[in-house]
Amino acid sequence: MVSDFFFPNFGGVESHIYYLSQCLLKLGHKVVVMTHAYGNRSGVRYVTNGLKVYYVPWRPFLMQNTLPTLFLTLPIVRTIIIREKISVVHGHQAFSTLCHEALMHARTMGYKVVFTDHSLYGFADAGSIHMNKVLQFTLADIDQAICVSHTSKENTVLRSGIAPEKVFMVPNAVDTAMFTPSPKRLSCDEIVIVVISRLVYRKGADLLVEVIPEVCRLFPKVRFIIGGDGPKRVRLEEMREKFSLQDRVEMLGAVPHAQVRSRLISGHIFLNSSLTEAFCIAILEAASCGLLTVSTRVGGVPEVLPDDMIVLAEPAPEDMVRAVKKAIDMIPGIDPQVMHLRMKKLYSWDDVAKRTEIVYDRAMQSSTTNLLDRLPRYLTCGSWAGKLFCIVMIINYLLWRLLEFLQPAEDIEVVPDIGPLHAQIQRDDLCEAQENQI
Amino acid sequence: MNQEQKCEVPCGIYTYEHHCRMGVDIHEIFVKKSRLRVVLSYIGIVFLLVNVSQPLLAKESLSLGSVWNITFAVLVAKCFQYKPVKKESVVIMPAFGVQVEIHFWSGRVDRRFVPIGKILKPLINECVTPVTCYWSLTLLLRDEEELLLVFQKSRPPVKMLVPVWKALCTLTNSEHLGPSIVDEPNSSEE
Repeated sequence: MVSDFFFPNFGGVESHIYYLSQCLLKLGHKVVVMTHAYGNRSGVRYVTNGLKVYYVPWRPFLMQNTLPTLFLTLPIVRTIIIREKISVVHGHQAFSTLCHEALMHARTMGYKVVFTDHSLYGFADAGSIHMNKVLQFTLADIDQAICVSHTSKENTVLRSGIAPEKVFMVPNAVDTAMFTPSPKRLSCDEIVIVVISRLVYRKGADLLVEVIPEVCRLFPKVRFIIGGDGPKRVRLEEMREKFSLQDRVEMLGAVPHAQVRSRLISGHIFLNSSLTEAFCIAILEAASCGLLTVSTRVGGVPEVLPDDMIVLAEPAPEDMVRAVKKAIDMIPGIDPQVMHLRMKKLYSWDDVAKRTEIVYDRAMQSSTTNLLDRLPRYLTCGSWAGKLFCIVMIINYLLWRLLEFLQPAEDIEVVPDIGPLHAQIQRDDLCEAQENQI
Repeated sequence: MNQEQKCEVPCGIYTYEHHCRMGVDIHEIFVKKSRLRVVLSYIGIVFLLVNVSQPLLAKESLSLGSVWNITFAVLVAKCFQYKPVKKESVVIMPAFGVQVEIHFWSGRVDRRFVPIGKILKPLINECVTPVTCYWSLTLLLRDEEELLLVFQKSRPPVKMLVPVWKALCTLTNSEHLGPSIVDEPNSSEE
């Protein structure tokens, strides 16, 4: 698994990679994660169940992304792939430069590559145009791709021009063992609406500024709990001051993920006001905790929950208020425990891992082609871009050959397979395993 | 009584030897001199001399261009500098400590002695750099934040590190089984 986004950074992509890796380990596969160094966290780390993580000492330069160098990551990617005996390289997130570079190098070296896109992106602004071009380059020669919703698949296919038959839809999931409802049912005398998200434009913080005062005016028994931080927090604080809602709107600030569940179970309704979402794991977590969700009807959100667990609204204040009213009326009929049990059956990371395994099997079955057969695929990316991409791949190929000459693959020592780590490993057995391997 | 074991690796520049002499366990790794690097170091020195002597012979005052040339030449000479290592050895003295030695072809020897009480654990560690990843043998020391690299200049293959690591483990285990010391979880890992 390759991505710029992994723990200790926290988010949807990071937890997707972590949970998917854990479930693949349980299925008996060998999984190695490669990401960039985070501060002093550099080198090899082993996390739960012996999941090996390479924190390569490339410093991030913009929004947690590694500096794009095109070819400088080739030596370390090659070394890791050879020493760990990797067969499939799985990149995550279109915004990750390390992912794109690693997939390019893996493809050059003849390995199978899979890409998962986690977000929706636009088509019109300068940033999106450039990123879509990079995505076109990466997906021009991909074996298989995965998207987290049908909407996301449509978005990825349109942005990159990849054949839809190559794109699988494998949704995210939620750790229902961690997100359980409160054992005691909350009283309906006072309705608590919980909002936990980054307070940024993309997550609809401006919508909240319009919706919250109106809901507080119409429903005197409603109060809000807002968790999260970001540049739009100031606007929410101003809204509290302006409408004197200090006793009805509680601002928690940044909430560590370990505390999200305890905050969720203090509420009846979860409010999501995102302006764009490929999937939205947050509403899964809320539903798993037994909260009724009110969300904007954007992106892949309508595909996530059944109609009786979510009330959808257009991303406009009036419609959001109407949806909150409908949700408040539905609260007495909601049983959090029943909701949680339904979520357990609907979503599990084990199911995601099994479906991803099918994608890997399909990727392994795709034919191996040489450079000359692969170059025409890049020419379809554009009249000028296609030729540029071909030149980049040719240079990458030549650099790879040079590395093969300077440091042959036989000289790179393979890491012995010790399996999932247990509490105690006999030292002598480990030494014998290493000697036998060598 | 001397016991000698040799182990050659595919790249052929490392040779491993093991001696036992008067109760002292000596593990040595010999490194072949690289002729290419010697030639490159001479080229670097000649390049530096040319850049330094050119403004002197031309009897011109130092201009910005010549300063840049000299600075560049110093960097190139530094890059190509080669202090070849003849061998690196680990001398294990039971109940006493471990001495780590670096012998250069120039005759210089760097030595560092680590008393046995200072060694918490020997480790075979994976080191990750921006361009590569390799195995190294290190000592985890009590009350010190940094690991001590046993083979500091050379990067021998892991099959040469394993017998040295085993010998160091035997040393530290025998020390811990002696007096009743409880292992303190003093890890330098973050």
